[in-house]
Amino acid sequence: MNIETKNLTKTYKETTVLNLTHQCNPLFFESGKIHGIIGPNGSGKTTLMKIMAGLISQSSGDVLYDGRSGNSDVPKDITYSSHRPTLFSRTVFENIAYPLKIRKRPKAEIQSIVTELLDEFEISDIQTHNAKKLSGGESQKTAIARALSFSPKVLFLDEPTANIDPKNVKLMEAALLKRKKSQGLTIIIITHNLSQAFRICDTLTFLNQGTCLYSGLAHGLIESADPIIHDFISFNLLKKSDLPLKS
Amino acid sequence: MKKKLTVLLVVVFVCALTLSFAGCSPTKKALEPGSNGTIILATTTSTQDSGLLDVLVPAFEAETGIAVKVVAVGTGKAIEMGTKGEADVLLVHARAQEDAFMAAGSGTERFDVMYNDFVVLGPKDDPAQVKANAPKDATKAFTAIAAVPATFVSRDDKSGTNTKELEIWKAANIVPEGDWYVRTGSGMGDTLTVTNEKLGYTLSDRATYANMKDTMSALQIVCEGDPLLLNPYGVITVNPAINAQINADGAKAFADWIVSPAGQKVIADYTINGDQVFTPSATKQ
Amino acid sequence: MDYIINGFAEAFRLIFSFDPEIMEIVFLSLFVSFSSTLYATIIGVPFGILLGITNFRGKPIVSRFLYTFMSFPPVVIGLFTALFLARAGPFGQFQLMYTPSAMIIAQTILVTPVVMGIVFNQSSTSGYEVVLTGKTLGAGKGNTLLLLIAELKGTIMIALVTGFGRAISEVGAVMIVGGNIRGYTRVMTTFIAMNNNMGQYSTAIAMGIILMTISFITNSILYKYIIGDINEYRD
Repeated sequence: MNIETKNLTKTYKETTVLNLTHQCNPLFFESGKIHGIIGPNGSGKTTLMKIMAGLISQSSGDVLYDGRSGNSDVPKDITYSSHRPTLFSRTVFENIAYPLKIRKRPKAEIQSIVTELLDEFEISDIQTHNAKKLSGGESQKTAIARALSFSPKVLFLDEPTANIDPKNVKLMEAALLKRKKSQGLTIIIITHNLSQAFRICDTLTFLNQGTCLYSGLAHGLIESADPIIHDFISFNLLKKSDLPLKS
Repeated sequence: MKKKLTVLLVVVFVCALTLSFAGCSPTKKALEPGSNGTIILATTTSTQDSGLLDVLVPAFEAETGIAVKVVAVGTGKAIEMGTKGEADVLLVHARAQEDAFMAAGSGTERFDVMYNDFVVLGPKDDPAQVKANAPKDATKAFTAIAAVPATFVSRDDKSGTNTKELEIWKAANIVPEGDWYVRTGSGMGDTLTVTNEKLGYTLSDRATYANMKDTMSALQIVCEGDPLLLNPYGVITVNPAINAQINADGAKAFADWIVSPAGQKVIADYTINGDQVFTPSATKQ
Repeated sequence: MDYIINGFAEAFRLIFSFDPEIMEIVFLSLFVSFSSTLYATIIGVPFGILLGITNFRGKPIVSRFLYTFMSFPPVVIGLFTALFLARAGPFGQFQLMYTPSAMIIAQTILVTPVVMGIVFNQSSTSGYEVVLTGKTLGAGKGNTLLLLIAELKGTIMIALVTGFGRAISEVGAVMIVGGNIRGYTRVMTTFIAMNNNMGQYSTAIAMGIILMTISFITNSILYKYIIGDINEYRD
């Protein structure tokens, strides 16, 4: 599913937190690719994502899903996971199974899908644990597994791997890449980890203080002449040679 | 599974309560009115506290099948309930207020029922020397108390007892004021307790004192028998014109019964620790 | 001092003699307070949740009112309820004064803000998150409501227990609308007040002990079966 924003702004208590009416207008996220949204804190990344996911309303402008306008009633195959996910007071298994349960999938199907996800995310051993009592990494993995269980078309992720150990980061990235390939899943991800951004993202969108300074192919960001972007990259990486090679 | 069990338990509990209450209650009166209707009798707390109603009401209910809901409040409120038609019949002891009630047209009939008397209580050491100087003269007793001045505890609640107390002060030409005059604003029981604690004097109906004598170890009767200390009771049926819910027939049945020989006998036979407390005084036949 | 010792002695005597009048009083107390808590929950929980998760103008003012009503004096509630139920009042024709029904009505009015306030408070904070999460997973209105009730279950139970405690221990409302009528509307608290007024302290203390014991037992049952679950979800 393609996502597109047009003339998007968000004003909150007389402060404009997001203004995409000049640069990056329209903002376009192509179906079946991984799109990163990066930038300093407070640049409007989460706001933009929540608007696109239909969780908050914009002050002006529109969001289109495969050309169909309206984020007040987003399609049901879009999902979102925040960087501090809200898990339900039930077991890990039941949390992951929840989207399938409310879609009335047969019990056997639920069992097989969830078991597969538990294996993939290496959380089978905690499947009967209370989801409210998990560690940071376990919570994140559970939340993402839950979001993926019903095979959505679009996945919005807000810093899913912040404070996660490298092994689990790799695990989660592998899960995302796998689905991008096999299901054509569109993933839009906010991350502060530039290595990750360049590692898995096809496109990058750079926000700074509510405006968009760049939106395009990931590699193109390096060549940007914009001093803010330049400083940001050099601050977050040591040298150009730290950049992973993109295949 | 545990949750289902919980819900089941709660539901069972509530049902059991409801059933037990409705079915197995020793007196089923709460959910079934008397077979011949119900009346609300407004009376005073001191009347209820005397215990008389615990024998009087069942006797009436047994004979007539009319259920009586006794609401015991202060005299002021009882009269007020009559004025508003919240009660069907009144049993009070405040003649002046009763007469005003009848004059205002709020009552259909009023009969004398019985009287008990008041006593002046005081501490064992009797600093105002009431027992020595005025054992049968209430006015003189009050004068002596105010002269010390010794602590006097007043109900100050417009009750029949309070009304009588103020009558006596008036007869003594004294306006009670000062630290020695304590106002409780409460019922007789509470007022007695305060009097006992403060080792003061007070005016009480004989019945309440008789009932509470064991716990009133610091007090004794210092003055009694003065005609001024008589406490006459009246029964009044409330005027059914006041509102549509008044049970005039039931009220009349009660009033007629309490002044009848049967009712009067119950009153005369009522004793506390062997002493008769109320003297029947019905003149209507 | 004697009173207290006599009180305990009297309590044992009253309890184990299975005095019918005492049992009736205890059952009536439980019946009235359980019923009113039940109704208060039925009314208070959905409204509490709804108000909590909705962002509407004037929400701060509404919440302030709600919290104020939570600690409304029972005697005042009794007073106002009596005004409505009295024969001279708007509902006079139902002859509800001095009946257990009137007591249940008054206590329901008393307990509903308590339940509602507790549920509202929790659903304002964590309820909203639950709604959003449900939305992202495709939950419609019905499923969202079920989700909320499941997530707020602990809070609802705490609200219920708190409400019941408030109901069974109050005397002002049931005294005014019930009248403490022997055999009809006498409950544990009005019985205690009356006996105190009459100077019968041992009896009053005895009933006081019974009341506290009943309260303890009821709360223990609720705690064990319901809140016990919830504590599993705490650190």
